Amino acid sequence: MKNLIIHTPEGFRDIYGSEIKKKKKLMRNLHKVFEAYSYEEIETPAVEYFDVFSSEVGTTPSNELYKFFDRDGYTLVLRPDFTPSVARAVAMHMPAEKLPVRLCYEGNTYVNSQEYQLNLKEQTQMGVEFIGDGSASADAEILRLTCDLLKKAGLTEFQVSVGNNDFFKALAQDSGLPEEKIEEVRRQISDKNFFGVSELLEAEQVSPQIRDAFVRMPQLFGGREILKEAAQYAVNDGAKAALARLTEIADMLSESGCDRYISFDLGLLSKYHYYTGMIFSAFTYGTGEPVAKGGRYDNLLGHFGTDAPAVGVGIGINPLMNALNRKSAREANE
Amino acid sequence: MRYLTVALTKGRLAQKTLELFSKVGITADGADDKNTRKLIFTNEEFGVRFFMAKGPDVPTYVAYGAADLGIVGKDTILEEGRKIYEVLDLGYGKCRMCICGPESAREALSSGDQIRVATKYPNIAKDYFLNRKHQTVEIIKMNGSIELAPIVGLSEVICDIVETGSTLRENGLTVLEEVCPLSARVVVNQVSMKMENERITKLINRLKEEL
Repeated sequence: MKNLIIHTPEGFRDIYGSEIKKKKKLMRNLHKVFEAYSYEEIETPAVEYFDVFSSEVGTTPSNELYKFFDRDGYTLVLRPDFTPSVARAVAMHMPAEKLPVRLCYEGNTYVNSQEYQLNLKEQTQMGVEFIGDGSASADAEILRLTCDLLKKAGLTEFQVSVGNNDFFKALAQDSGLPEEKIEEVRRQISDKNFFGVSELLEAEQVSPQIRDAFVRMPQLFGGREILKEAAQYAVNDGAKAALARLTEIADMLSESGCDRYISFDLGLLSKYHYYTGMIFSAFTYGTGEPVAKGGRYDNLLGHFGTDAPAVGVGIGINPLMNALNRKSAREANE
Repeated sequence: MRYLTVALTKGRLAQKTLELFSKVGITADGADDKNTRKLIFTNEEFGVRFFMAKGPDVPTYVAYGAADLGIVGKDTILEEGRKIYEVLDLGYGKCRMCICGPESAREALSSGDQIRVATKYPNIAKDYFLNRKHQTVEIIKMNGSIELAPIVGLSEVICDIVETGSTLRENGLTVLEEVCPLSARVVVNQVSMKMENERITKLINRLKEEL
């Protein structure tokens, strides 16, 4: 029998001793980078109305949300992710003429899913949202910030893999495939299933150009040369524009000196539907999941009544701590 | 150089895979010795090491990054549903996931009645009946000798792998519906794919040429 007075619920844990010291120090260091980029702090409540994270917003699936009711019978959720909360707060408190605004946050997120390492359902996140600027230089700023954060954390070997959701979206629109089929193709591409896509499209009426592009997309990742290769698959204006945007970002980053950490991945597609353009994930050794994720979400604020472009990044403190621990263990071995 | 770690599914699949790897010049020292108790085999020249694991554990090792690559059946990938990249169909270990039972169960299967399904693969069975057939079923998770279930009346049908069908025939069962074709696949950890892109892509391309 479990002693329910002493144990924490499954997926939740105490952090104490040297671990909490390390964690707090890491978070202080990351916060210094936020300050250096002049991001202002924002705190949003851990509990929000369900509608903030509903399927129209396109975030965490409903069955992975912690839900309960308020006194009036409305459904409440524990936030699974910060971005929709911050977008809601900006739409609520900041009039359009006050934009652009640079905001940073830190806190815990709650997802009721087995997918995470150690099955932790409560995870600490830190991140920024840059709201009201739709330019490529805003994208580049966020990527530069991500590199600086990971360097400040103490990582030396990491990769920020950058894609553009619009590339796939533009091709999908011209493919004439039904919605469910597109969803399946999207999943196969983001799972890097090199042959699944061609299997899927075998029986479908799709123009050969778009078919070739979809089949090739799981493998369209690597250095800057990938953008050149992708050009032959950019058969419509939307896809061309998506590539041009990535090239523009790449040019800006090459001036900043963080381009050695950047790679490109046209097959990087997020399961969060609110991402609209540039999207990225940062990877390093020692942890099986990305240490940072982010991208552009130009339509999200529209859901809350204010139209404004936005871009942001979230750092997963848990996978980052994991990676740092493994790194110091490795270095001690050598 | 950092080792590339490959998780192999114990048994026939591992034997076939090691043969394939030695064809592309990557041999695993000592792995062909059937009596060995060793768990890990290395190839220093290419910086590759292999270990043997039980099938359902292979996607777990790969998802957590304890192994960079894994060789595992499509059935296990579907059942475990881990977030891993599936990059190559090795073409061997071919078989089918099927719904089987005595001929008399065919009617119950198509009538939409509530039936019981015994299986080692509850997730695959659930997905098939719920999402593809829209039929409510009771799924009974078993750990082996699934063929027994309809014979002794535990379930109407089973959901299991069929290779030649001889076990089924000997027990008076037959394939009623096919769920999907299966074969051995190469899976890759998401992070490894990015951090070791060059080595992994090269390895995969060489394996592909040899198939």
